[in-house]
Amino acid sequence: MKIGKLVSAVGMMGCMAMAIPAIAQDIKLGVIAGMSGPGTSYGIGIRQGAEMAVKEINAAGGIKGRKISLVIADDASDPAQSVTAMQRLVNEPVDLVVGGFGSSQVLANMDVAERAGMPYIVVGATNPNITTNKNKWTFRVILSDSIQAEQIAEVAVKRLGMKRIAVINDANDYGVGNRNVFLARLKKLGIEPVAVVSYQSADKDFTAQLSRIREANPDGIAVFGTVPAAPAIMNQARDLGIKARFIGTGGLANEELMTLAPKASEGTVLTTYFNEDVDPEAKAWANRYVKEFSGSSQPPHPVLAAWEYRAIKFIAAPCLESSGTDKDKLRQCIGHWKGKIFGVPGEAYFDKTGQLIQQSVLVEVVKGAFQPFKGK
Amino acid sequence: MFDQLFIGGLATGCIYAVVGLGFTLVYRTLRMVNFAQGQVFMIGAFLGLVTAERAHLPALPLLFVVSAIAFALGMVLERLVFRRLYHSHEVFIVGTIGLGIVLTNVVRVFFPGPVPFPKIFGSHVVQIGTARFQETYVWVVISTLVLVVLLHAMFTYTRAGRALRAVAADAEIAGTVGVNVNRTIALTFGLSFAVAAIAGVLIGPLYFVSFDMGDMVGLKAFSAAVFGGINSIPGTILGGLAIGVLENLAGGYISSAYKDLVAFAILLVMLIWRPTGLLGRDMPVKV
Repeated sequence: MKIGKLVSAVGMMGCMAMAIPAIAQDIKLGVIAGMSGPGTSYGIGIRQGAEMAVKEINAAGGIKGRKISLVIADDASDPAQSVTAMQRLVNEPVDLVVGGFGSSQVLANMDVAERAGMPYIVVGATNPNITTNKNKWTFRVILSDSIQAEQIAEVAVKRLGMKRIAVINDANDYGVGNRNVFLARLKKLGIEPVAVVSYQSADKDFTAQLSRIREANPDGIAVFGTVPAAPAIMNQARDLGIKARFIGTGGLANEELMTLAPKASEGTVLTTYFNEDVDPEAKAWANRYVKEFSGSSQPPHPVLAAWEYRAIKFIAAPCLESSGTDKDKLRQCIGHWKGKIFGVPGEAYFDKTGQLIQQSVLVEVVKGAFQPFKGK
Repeated sequence: MFDQLFIGGLATGCIYAVVGLGFTLVYRTLRMVNFAQGQVFMIGAFLGLVTAERAHLPALPLLFVVSAIAFALGMVLERLVFRRLYHSHEVFIVGTIGLGIVLTNVVRVFFPGPVPFPKIFGSHVVQIGTARFQETYVWVVISTLVLVVLLHAMFTYTRAGRALRAVAADAEIAGTVGVNVNRTIALTFGLSFAVAAIAGVLIGPLYFVSFDMGDMVGLKAFSAAVFGGINSIPGTILGGLAIGVLENLAGGYISSAYKDLVAFAILLVMLIWRPTGLLGRDMPVKV
């Protein structure tokens, strides 16, 4: 910790010394995520959200006349490489980091940020252990598994009327975290799962797991995983003749779900981080976003892009404006932030653990698109 | 449930077996292991993807075109890379691991994320007893059988096949009796690339294709080859099928998260019991 303080103090003096002659020193904003590997579709969304927010801020004159420049670090969706990528951002040095996809990656790389005293706003990882009382520099804007998994358990039992629920989860931090919270809530609701199976993130063939689920004859299947495994599971389940409806949490909130499992994903109900139909501003943003990126080689992926954009525009930028690039002041400003963000009903605020408290959004896949869930 | 696990395992096992054949072919000729074999399988899947999307070929011509391209690629890479590496087994191993990483990352530049593969083998579901599976599974099994028969026929009845066997038995003597050893070795690599690429096209429509798909399959195919006896073609096929079925049964009946562990623990015990593999023979070291 002492070394961390010393490093940030030296960094601060460096910044002040530089600030006197060069008035328009760029603010460096680090973006970390898997822009290759299994998490690509999430990581590209994060990068696009950052690009869009920074472009708008710079076009409007920047932060007190200083432009923001992006430093992008691809962690290849791999926890080990994620540590190296974060180290690179710390060495750069960037002024803060907004990004992060995948619980296993973030749990690994937040350690580097914590030790270096680097303000880090996480947009794409949901394991409850990311925001505890131990993290001082790490904040999170999307809801953690504990809230999402509890909510989807309630919805499954009370609104979808599921009685025979099967669970298939990724054996990583995201999948196991979700499964545990989900099963605990089911138990409180008086329901025992008919099958609980897991898989490894890189698995391609799920016959073994799905055969067991088929034997159990479920009326609902909770999938706690991400793309590309989740849509592969859905496709293979339908091939095996399993007709049960799928439910899940934010891992499924990715437009690739419908691209990779166009028929099988239909009817899936899930908690999500962003839906454009929540309010008119969200709709307007989504239209602008899709317009901006539909020409590029990668199709637009709005879900995490929306959070990256909003975290920069509504939280990071105002704090940079009021606190400058002093890392400790920046951290305190983020920790005390509260306000309204488009797409989030009501007011949002950070709790003591650095988790942004907010109302979550429930959607259903209807005709290949996420739509607000309208069930009973 | 048993039917489903067993048949599913057989199909996956066929893929391990066919990729494993690539290991076996090179090993028989050079007594060396090409660790880029899994990546060649991945390259085959992407060759299939690109060809299918550009040329809209039906399944059989597509398999033929992809294996021909892969064959040529194998010959070219033999000339440029492998020939400079196979003077020592250690160099060859490290060199091929490096080549594998290069191939993976070249594909990663163009296809950073998983891509759906066109359903070239149809998307009907076939039912046998209580087991249901995609038509593609049938293709996988039949193609494996056809490949084995073709390879066997080639080794037994053609001049090139006899040359391969001669070089496998003793390269020096084969050279003195007029076999073009360099060309025969190049042919070996061409063949090993072609079979791995066919496996890539076969598996494409079942799953999505991604640049990292070859890593685990390569490892399992290598295990299949060793398990069955790396110098034996029937052994490799048997090894592939055994691993495919074992891991599926382990996943279904014991633990889905640890299906690899269970399959490989059994494998380890088998290898302690039979170090040369199921059908492998001890190869005397020549002096």
